[in-house]
Amino acid sequence: MSAYSKLHPLTCLVGYLCILIPAMFIKNPVIQLTSLLGSVLFLSVICDRKTIGSDLGFYIPLFVLMAVTNPLFSHNGATPLFFMNGNPVTLEAVIYGIFMSVMITSVLLWCKCYGIIINSDKIVYLFGKSLPKLSLLLSAALKFIPELKRRFRLTSSAQKTLGQYSTESYTDRIKRMCGVFSSVIGWSLENAVEKNNSMKARGYGMPGRSNYSIFKMTAADKTISVLYIACLSLTLAGAFTGKLYFSYYPTVSGIPDSPLALASYFSYFVCAMIPIIVESEEAIRWKYYRSKI
Amino acid sequence: MEILQIKDLSFTYPNTDSPAADGINMTVNQGEFILVCGASGCGKTTLLRLIKKELSPAGNLKGEILYNLDAKGFKETASAFDVGFVFQNPDSQIVTDSVWHELAFGLENMGIPSDTVRRRVGEMASYFGINEWYHSKTDSLSGGQKQILNLASVMVMDPKILILDEPTSQLDPITASEFIKTVYSLNREFGITVIIAEHRLEELFPLADRVAVMDGGNLIFYGSPEKACGALKDNPIFEGFPSAVKIFEGTKDLTELPEGYQCPLTVRDCKKYLNANFSHLSGKEVKVISPEPANPVIEAENLYFRYDKNLPDILRSMSISVCENEIMGILGGNGAGKTTALNVIAGAEMPYRGHVKIYGKKIKDFKNNSLYRNMLAYLPQDPQCIFVKNKVSEDFEAALAALNGKNQNIGSEIERISEELGISHLQNMHPYDLSGGELQKCAVAKLMLTDPKIMLLDEPTKGLDAVSKNKLISLLRKLRSKGMTFLIVTHDIEFAAGICDRCAMFFDGGIISQSAPNEFFSSNRFYTTSSHRACRDIFPNAILTDEVIGLCRGNV
Repeated sequence: MSAYSKLHPLTCLVGYLCILIPAMFIKNPVIQLTSLLGSVLFLSVICDRKTIGSDLGFYIPLFVLMAVTNPLFSHNGATPLFFMNGNPVTLEAVIYGIFMSVMITSVLLWCKCYGIIINSDKIVYLFGKSLPKLSLLLSAALKFIPELKRRFRLTSSAQKTLGQYSTESYTDRIKRMCGVFSSVIGWSLENAVEKNNSMKARGYGMPGRSNYSIFKMTAADKTISVLYIACLSLTLAGAFTGKLYFSYYPTVSGIPDSPLALASYFSYFVCAMIPIIVESEEAIRWKYYRSKI
Repeated sequence: MEILQIKDLSFTYPNTDSPAADGINMTVNQGEFILVCGASGCGKTTLLRLIKKELSPAGNLKGEILYNLDAKGFKETASAFDVGFVFQNPDSQIVTDSVWHELAFGLENMGIPSDTVRRRVGEMASYFGINEWYHSKTDSLSGGQKQILNLASVMVMDPKILILDEPTSQLDPITASEFIKTVYSLNREFGITVIIAEHRLEELFPLADRVAVMDGGNLIFYGSPEKACGALKDNPIFEGFPSAVKIFEGTKDLTELPEGYQCPLTVRDCKKYLNANFSHLSGKEVKVISPEPANPVIEAENLYFRYDKNLPDILRSMSISVCENEIMGILGGNGAGKTTALNVIAGAEMPYRGHVKIYGKKIKDFKNNSLYRNMLAYLPQDPQCIFVKNKVSEDFEAALAALNGKNQNIGSEIERISEELGISHLQNMHPYDLSGGELQKCAVAKLMLTDPKIMLLDEPTKGLDAVSKNKLISLLRKLRSKGMTFLIVTHDIEFAAGICDRCAMFFDGGIISQSAPNEFFSSNRFYTTSSHRACRDIFPNAILTDEVIGLCRGNV
């Protein structure tokens, strides 16, 4: 388990929003490259090599595809590089395409990372804060889905060994599958009755239900959340005052470098690096403690 | 101090004439361990649910149930938290997806603040040894772990009375006895009043303070287990009593016991009793007729199987051969891979190395389901899985139609098999409404529709009471006499000893030994029937209670 995923769910959620909002809405190459750098580093820390390898095989072609598509279809921009089928392929469109794919890839990678970090326990907790009933429902559903899947597998394998699937005919097989499916639904209703009994037997429905979670907000959680929000505010301040404005068309403007813009870059960089810092801090601390064993 | 008092309790379900509970009077003392037993459908579950108010079934209730939970006198009601209830099925009573949440669920319902919940959940988790899997998903647990979790999540609410309705019927014997030990230690160490309904009497009998025996809604006996043995000798429920009791009752007229000699309940006491009274017969043996070697119909050679490339082997060089017209049993520990072995032999899973031959023909050469027609049938662990329609008769019709097309004379075929197995009266029932024994019979009947030569059974005695078990044994014997071959995977040692022609031990991915049951079990010290454990000093190869009684009486 990674150190970052041990943080409080609210801190994780804050981190998620602080990294995604600028990445999605500020069209500034520095911000986008920072976001990509952060997401790649974070992914490489929390995933094992094998997953990273198979991910590269997916994200690199996607990146190239998106980068190439834009100049082929968008002919805006003042600097034509060459002509294709009588249409100009412009430098600006190429650059815009590259930065769009940087943006999309980094957002996808962040979503992947947080998909790993925010597990079902955390989701249930986050919802449960405002809607306790919904959180119980979610939790029960998360228990129920694998149960249903297993039941389906068992029933269809039992039907198979009874010779109920003719291996040749597709329509026959689909018909049998539907039969199995309806029986599994019947079973799940039966199951729901028992579950309801079990809930009643343990006093569900009594007034004054409380909501327990295993998560505890620690000082570190609070510090990190505050840091996140401070960084986000500074970044957004840069964006709202227009100091981060960057135009691709008709010509690529220079990268903004006013003091506020620099401060915004830096604060967003901190945002993007917090996950790695948390991870490596834990790793260093562990090495240090282990050296004392 | 009395904690529970039941006065003239009668209960009738709506739309039925005969009462499910009829004039029951019983009192339970604080800290007692009460065992409720009786054949399926005797009203055990109804009684237990009536005691737990939140689960009271709808119907016509007469009489009173009174609780005295805080020593301040009897009251009509008890809160949901004072009476804990553990159900039969480990899976369906778990509500949430994480172990910690499941433990906290009851306390949340009580409205207890988080810090207290944390402390009580932590305490319970360490008492039950849940720390290791505290953060696990409930779905990833084994059956035994699930049932321990269910017990723990009831105990966390600190109930005064703990009710368990056949809690171990879905567990294998070793897990079951661990579970029972846990319940027993809760009773002994914390003085919790336990009321447990079970079929597995061998272990519970010696532990119980009092036994309540029910029959047809009546409480026919309520007293100490020693007295129950003599009093119920002629009742069908006696079949399920511990071997020690059966041996004692079958042989006590041959001995001159002092007045007031208590019936032995455990293997230890039975051994003492046999050694004291029958040592002059020492060395007598059961005559074992070893079966003549017939031609093998299932041959598995050198099977290797794993579920995924990166997972370890479940089967490692497993070989087995089953001869025509024999009943072969595969025994072995929990999670050893017995079910997987059966799946591979049934052709539901393919081994990555080695092959299975049925009547000399490789499984993959059976094209287009011909393996499952007039050849091989497989009954999985949960017989409910094989029914997909809402009525037994509809299910049979659909299955036959799928096998043979509609032109066959389906009705008469179903009638013939139903009559043969004695399930004609169940044809209009929903499969979920059948009792364990009835369901098992209907499932066997459904397999018979394909007119198989070989039947594979996975844990056929799971959740069956002693009477249904005996009926299953005679059913399988009857089918064997018609030329069928059986391969049975089971945990149930007594069942295997009673029915198998040969037994095989599955261990470490393969079969490590196989022989006829008398030889198989008498050469084991631990993994053997309790009758044999009791009599091994005197009768070296007797493994069934009937054999022991026969040897004592000198008529084997």
